[in-house]
Amino acid sequence: MDDVLQIEGLTKTYGAKAALQGVSLAIAHNEYVSLLGPSGSGKTVLLRLIAGFEPPDSGRIWVDGKDISRVLPHDRGIGFVFQNFALFPHLNVYENIAFGLSNRVHAPIADGAELRARVNTMIDLVGLGGFGQRGVHQISGGQRQRVALARTLVTEPRLVLLDEPLGALDANLRMRMRGELRRIRSLLGVTFLHVTGSETEALAMGDRSVVLDNGRIGQFDRPDVIFNQPVSPNVARFLNCYNVFGGVIEGGSFRSGGHVFGFSGPVKPGAETAYVVRQDVILIQAMDAPVGARETGLSATYVTSEYTGAAFMYFFKTDDGHIVEVENHLSHRAAQDLVAGARYRLVWRADAALVYG
Amino acid sequence: MNVPLATSELTSAPSGTGARASRVPYVLIAPGALWMFLFLVVPMAMMVYVSFWTQTTFKIEPVLTLKSWQTFFSSDTYLSALWTTLRIWLMVLLATLVVGYPTALFVGLFIKNKTLSTVLLVLCVIPFWTSFLIRVLAWRPMLGKEGAINIILQALHITSAPIDALLFTELSVVIGMTQIYCVFMVGPIAFMLGRIDPNVIEAARDLGASFGRIFRTIILPLSMPGVIVGAIFVSVMVLGEFATAAALSGRKVNMLGNIIVTQVGSLKWAFAAVVGVVLTVIMGVVVAAFLRIVDLKREL
Repeated sequence: MDDVLQIEGLTKTYGAKAALQGVSLAIAHNEYVSLLGPSGSGKTVLLRLIAGFEPPDSGRIWVDGKDISRVLPHDRGIGFVFQNFALFPHLNVYENIAFGLSNRVHAPIADGAELRARVNTMIDLVGLGGFGQRGVHQISGGQRQRVALARTLVTEPRLVLLDEPLGALDANLRMRMRGELRRIRSLLGVTFLHVTGSETEALAMGDRSVVLDNGRIGQFDRPDVIFNQPVSPNVARFLNCYNVFGGVIEGGSFRSGGHVFGFSGPVKPGAETAYVVRQDVILIQAMDAPVGARETGLSATYVTSEYTGAAFMYFFKTDDGHIVEVENHLSHRAAQDLVAGARYRLVWRADAALVYG
Repeated sequence: MNVPLATSELTSAPSGTGARASRVPYVLIAPGALWMFLFLVVPMAMMVYVSFWTQTTFKIEPVLTLKSWQTFFSSDTYLSALWTTLRIWLMVLLATLVVGYPTALFVGLFIKNKTLSTVLLVLCVIPFWTSFLIRVLAWRPMLGKEGAINIILQALHITSAPIDALLFTELSVVIGMTQIYCVFMVGPIAFMLGRIDPNVIEAARDLGASFGRIFRTIILPLSMPGVIVGAIFVSVMVLGEFATAAALSGRKVNMLGNIIVTQVGSLKWAFAAVVGVVLTVIMGVVVAAFLRIVDLKREL
C-alpha cells in the first residue's frame, strides 16, 4: 500500500445544504496533488474534515492505511497550512517554527540543542536564514507564508494540507512561491494536498489534480489530461478556457439554440448534454469567408476585447444571448481589428470539439 | 500684469490650506484640554499646595508647613489605613481576576456566536441598572447574621450556627467590591480574547499542543493587554473607594478614601489634601507598573 491518504464516501451536510456528497479519493506517497474547486464547491470543508477540525456525517479516512476517522487532529500526522497563515502573533519566526516541537503532547523535544538544530535546518530550508529573531509582523507576506509552511513541516507530517496557501499573496509573489512550494516539497518527500480556486495554479502545481464539483469529485487526473479531456461540462467550465453550449444531439450533429455544430469525436456519457470547445481553437472570419470541409461554427456579434499581454480575448454575443469567448495567442496570429456591433463567423475544426450527453 | 498675480495666488493658496489643515487638530483638542486643565490639573496642583498649609482646629491658613505630612506618617491610624487600602486592593484585584478571567474566557472564546457573547456581556452589566449605594447595601441582607447565606447554610445543615465573619468584616468589603468591579475586568479581557484568530488556536492544536499548553503559550499572552487594562480599571476604582468599605464593614474598615471623607467632614482640609496626594501617587505608581508589564501601544 503506497497511498498516504485514502478517503471513502465522505459526506458532510450543513443544515439543508450538502457540502460534500460521498467523496472518495486516494493520494499516493510523495505526491503533489492540487484540488481545484470554485467557491462553494466544498473544497475547504473537505480539507477541514481530513485535518479533523470537523467530524464528517459519514465516510472514513485512512492515513498510511490506519483508520483516523475518530482520531484527534494532532494525532493524525497531518499538517495544516492556513490561508491567512494563522501565525502566533506574539512569537518571533524562530518561536513560531519551534512551537510544535516543544509544545506537542507526544514526544516534545526538551533538548535545547536538538530543538535549535531542527528549527534552524528548517529555517534555512524554507529560505528564512537570518530572519529567526524577527517578529512575524516585521516580515513580508511571502516570508510569513514560509514561516507557516516551516512551522508545519518541522513536525515531519506525512501529509500537508494547504488551504489556498497563495491566496493572500500578490500576483508576483504567488508565481515565485509556486516554484518554492514545489522545491520544498520534493526536498522533503512529503505529500502536499493544495486547495486552490485558481485553475492555472491547480494545473501548474499538481502532479495530479482533483476537480471538485458541487461536493463530488468531478475529475482526478494528471493536469494535462484534465485540461485536454475534461470529463464533464462542469469540469470544462471550472478550467475557464472552454466555451460550453447546452442543447441536444440530433443525428451526427449538435443543436444549440439556432445553431447546428458538427463534431467527429465520441459522445462522452454524462448527466448534462453539452458541446464544449476551447477558446483558443476558434478562428474569427468575415461573414463571406469560405467554410472548410471539416470546419463548423456560428455567426455572432462582436462586443469587446481584452488585452492580456501575450493574447487577446475577444467577446462575441450570439443571437440567443450566449457569450462566446475567443482567445487569440499573439505568437500564433496577429491581433485582429474588429468592429464592435458587426457580425463575424466563428469557426473551428469539428474534431476539436468535445461532446457530452 | 496677470502673470505675477497668478503666481502669488499659486504660492499663497497651498500654504493657506496647509495652515488651516494643521490648525484642525488643535481646535479638536482645545475643549478637552481646557476642561482637563481647569478641573484636573488646577485642582491637583491645589491639592498638593493645600497639603502644606497650616491647619488649626477651626482654621486653615496658607502658611507653608510640613506638619500635616509629619502627622500622617507618624500616626498608626493613618498608616494602618494605608496598609488596609493596599491589602483590600490586592485582594479585590486577585478576586476579580480569579472570577473574571474564566468568565471572559467563556464569553470571549468558547461562545462562537457573536450575538450571544454580546448578550452575555450585557448581562454582566445588569447589576449597574440600580444605584451604586443600593447595590452595596443589598449585600447586607445577603451576608448578615440572619441573612440569606446563613439561613441557607443552616437549612442545609452545612453549618450549625450562623457565620459572623460574613458581614462587617474585611471579607464582606472584599466580596462587595469584587461583585461591583468584576465586570471591569471581564470586559477588556473578553474583548482581547474575542480578537484572537480562531485559526491560530486551531493551528496550535494541529501542531499537537494540549489545551493547557495552548492556554499558557498562546491564549494567556494574547489576552494580557486585556488583563492589564482591566487591572488598571479595577485598581484605580478600588484604591479610591470609601462607600463600600463604610457600608459593608460598619465603619470598621478604614481605607484612605474613608479618611479623606472624615477629614473633609471635620473641615481638616490640609490633612485631607495630604491623604489625597498619597492616594494619587499610589495610583500613579500602580498604573505605571501595570503599563510596564505589557506594551499597550502595540495593541492599539
